[in-house]
Amino acid sequence: MEIPYLQVNNLNYSISGQTILHDISFKIEKGDILVIIGPNGSGKTTLLKLILGVIKPDKGTILINNRNVKTALGKIAYVPQKFDFDRNTPITVKEFIALEKCGKREHGLRYISDALAQVGMTGKENKKLGVLSGGEFQRLMIARALLHEKELLIFDEPAAGIDLQGEATIYSLISQINQKKGTTCLIVSHELSVVSRFAKQVLCLNKSLVCFGPPQVAITPEVLKNLYGSEAGLYHHHKH
Amino acid sequence: MIRAIAAGSAVALVLGYLGTFIVTRRLSFIGDGLAHASLLGVALAILLGFAPLPTAMLTAVVLAILIYYLERRTNLSGDMAIAIIFTSGMALGLILLHFYSGYQPELMSYLFGNILAISRWDLISIISASVIIITFLTIFFRRFLFATFDPVGAYLAGKKPWLYDLLLYIMTAVAIIAGIKLVGIILVSALLVIPSAISRLYTKSFVNFILLTILLSFLIINSGLILSYYLDLPSGATIVLTGSILFMFLSITKKLIK
Repeated sequence: MEIPYLQVNNLNYSISGQTILHDISFKIEKGDILVIIGPNGSGKTTLLKLILGVIKPDKGTILINNRNVKTALGKIAYVPQKFDFDRNTPITVKEFIALEKCGKREHGLRYISDALAQVGMTGKENKKLGVLSGGEFQRLMIARALLHEKELLIFDEPAAGIDLQGEATIYSLISQINQKKGTTCLIVSHELSVVSRFAKQVLCLNKSLVCFGPPQVAITPEVLKNLYGSEAGLYHHHKH
Repeated sequence: MIRAIAAGSAVALVLGYLGTFIVTRRLSFIGDGLAHASLLGVALAILLGFAPLPTAMLTAVVLAILIYYLERRTNLSGDMAIAIIFTSGMALGLILLHFYSGYQPELMSYLFGNILAISRWDLISIISASVIIITFLTIFFRRFLFATFDPVGAYLAGKKPWLYDLLLYIMTAVAIIAGIKLVGIILVSALLVIPSAISRLYTKSFVNFILLTILLSFLIINSGLILSYYLDLPSGATIVLTGSILFMFLSITKKLIK
């Protein structure tokens, strides 16, 4: 039997006695795009942080290639909802990408321009990081992941705070990377349209697991009602 | 005076260089905290008859580790941890000094800075500490910047951002103490912040940010020292005011250029 790429087993997490996540289990294969949806406060970002290993679960395990997440460090890229930094800090796009150095020749400085070109940021190497728009910054983070050929890309609300055109660009980039390079992608989103357009798997979260599976099977009117109440009718199944 | 210029140049280099990381990390207050808390080390040295500079450095390193520990292992925010250590260290220092009878001229030079009080041994300590820190920071420059600017990214790349943070705190503690004989406990942290505050107005890349900060730091400290010598003014206050005036002038100039 093939080993799942990412395996989450009986994950529990609480803060000061308050349950944030309860008994979450799921697994995805290499090359999947998993979209995690749920209302505000449903534990989506916490789940990402647990997968990244930034916080530790109270109970449960997370395995990548059947091994502890720590063994996959160097292969995971994370694109946060908001990268918190002082926009007046003098640091260029090139300097930012060059912070990570994995030692492989083909991931070196001279390939930064190529990575930027792949996300439509040709010629922006010497731009100050603080002047980039939200969408450009997301693309820059993707370029860094591309440069180092990451296996797993994790996005927390990649379209938050960027305009519609920027949002379309980001999602089409994610889709391209997934198709061309077979990169596994985890996307947290509150937009149901993202599920219908991009997800191979969907995970519905509301502190516990509400649904998991291919969108056309997992998303039902009951599930949506459970997650969003009256907004359930907004979802439209895509045609196959 | 030559000794003061040599010590001033070493301090300018190390505090300027470290300041770029500290300002980027939004930790400007840490210099102030460590400098004030180091009064504990100075008081201990005076009471026990030890060499004040190395004793203060050692104390500041222990306090820096304590601040780091409080920040990471408790619910205290960074500024709260610094404030607690800052005031506790200073209070303990004052209590210890209470037991010392008689006038202590050396104490005044630590509090307010005195270029004439820099001994040959002080100069050796200051230059050695500066050379070690600058070398270390240069060798691991990229890792320090990664941990400072993008700690989650550094962790995911398999680095240990916590280690570089801790080392940054320790190096800052040593560098701050290296500067207290010139500028004094009360004002030394300005040297960590003012040159960086000016240069980030005029630079776009981090490398240029460091180079301009070091140059400005060198200019501020040495021109302040020379001014204080010829005008017979306190060295620390003159250096800091030179920096503040330059900051105001260049901030206004930048706004006018825009």
